[in-house]
Amino acid sequence: MRNLLHNMNPSVKFIAVTISMLTIAFFFNPWTPLLFFVSILLLQLTMSHINWKLWLLFMLPFSIGAFGYLWTTVVFGADTGGTIIWSFAGINVTDEQWAHALSLSFRVMAFSSLSLMFAFTTDPVKFILSLMQQLKLSPKLAYGVMVGYQFLPVMKDEFTQIQQAQRLRGVEVEKRSWQRIVSMRRVLIPMLAGAVRKAERSAFAMEARGFTGEPRNAYYRPILLSRTDVLMSGVFLIILLTSCFGGIWLN
Amino acid sequence: MLKSWKLKEVVLMSLFAVVFGIVYLLFVHAANIWAAVIGPLAYEWMFGIWFIVSIICMYIIRKPGAAFLSETMAAAIEVLIGNAVGPRLILTGVVQGLGAEAAFALTGYKHFNILVLMLAGIGSAVFSFIYGYFVSGYAALDPSFVALMFTIRVLSGAIIAGIGGKYIGDALLATGSLRGYAIARTKKGDMNA
Repeated sequence: MRNLLHNMNPSVKFIAVTISMLTIAFFFNPWTPLLFFVSILLLQLTMSHINWKLWLLFMLPFSIGAFGYLWTTVVFGADTGGTIIWSFAGINVTDEQWAHALSLSFRVMAFSSLSLMFAFTTDPVKFILSLMQQLKLSPKLAYGVMVGYQFLPVMKDEFTQIQQAQRLRGVEVEKRSWQRIVSMRRVLIPMLAGAVRKAERSAFAMEARGFTGEPRNAYYRPILLSRTDVLMSGVFLIILLTSCFGGIWLN
Repeated sequence: MLKSWKLKEVVLMSLFAVVFGIVYLLFVHAANIWAAVIGPLAYEWMFGIWFIVSIICMYIIRKPGAAFLSETMAAAIEVLIGNAVGPRLILTGVVQGLGAEAAFALTGYKHFNILVLMLAGIGSAVFSFIYGYFVSGYAALDPSFVALMFTIRVLSGAIIAGIGGKYIGDALLATGSLRGYAIARTKKGDMNA
């Protein structure tokens, strides 16, 4: 039970998440995204085992962003119809505006929880392999992305190395934040130049070992479709329909 | 589409996607904190940053698809890093990449001067705005506020992505590491570059 989300085929999960998101985007009542957010939370509580502390940490910036949406929609909202429910500092807030504001903020929360669910229960390498095997992504692209992914830790080390090397030679750390953004080019250019060289070397190595990038029928690590995927697609569909119709009904 | 691509060009795109995936992530966090203070406007002026990889890759590789694929890859890499925006980011990447790609396709993939690069930045801005209008529900906001958001985003796309992208591409060319890519080969002959 608690492995269901983890065992789902990554491509199927990706499609389910995308379809849910595009459907929710059509709804402007506050209930649909709220219902959806709560259901996704319940789904994750019952069908996955994740690090909830980390989850909260990731959710925090989105909650802050949702709050930003809430107050800007109240201040800059389009509808001025409806009855005024409260006013503050010369801004009259009508019930319609308030509903819109809540709807947009809950939407941010719903999308974030959905995205986090995907990120926390999906193995990145399996996701790419599944994209190649189920959705016929070109192997050239799939393995290209995986090369990039493997280089990630190397890039992180290189980033600190370049910074330390520059500091040794007397480059000072800028104090103002916008100056720090502009001075990023000093690190960015050497990193990109290094990336170009790494790309050439690894592409050469891959070709030397017989990688052609042609589509194939057999894979070393097959990613399969199973009964879990049918079951979970059904669960996602039920959640989606419940939130859509429940939202309309509650409104 | 990928038949004419060399493997090293694909891998180059992927590694650039990694570098910019990290850069993008840093800016997402910065923008999220800003967004709490000044609302959705916070994202607008820095939106150009998120278009830059497609413009740099197209400027270097100069093959149909370079803008679209690199932006999508950068989004995919961001998702692989385990960033919280998750799979919906891939969709955003696809849309932004298509916007830049459309600008290059309009010019027939022949010219890569600063105007075309800025146009590509604007293309990304327009496409991503239409997508954002739908997904983030801008329809619920005041039209004049939406117009302001749109203007800032287009300017950001043209300046940060277009001019910034050309600047980084040229700086990279000057390091000499781009020999063997289209940018170095056509630099002498192409008067528009």
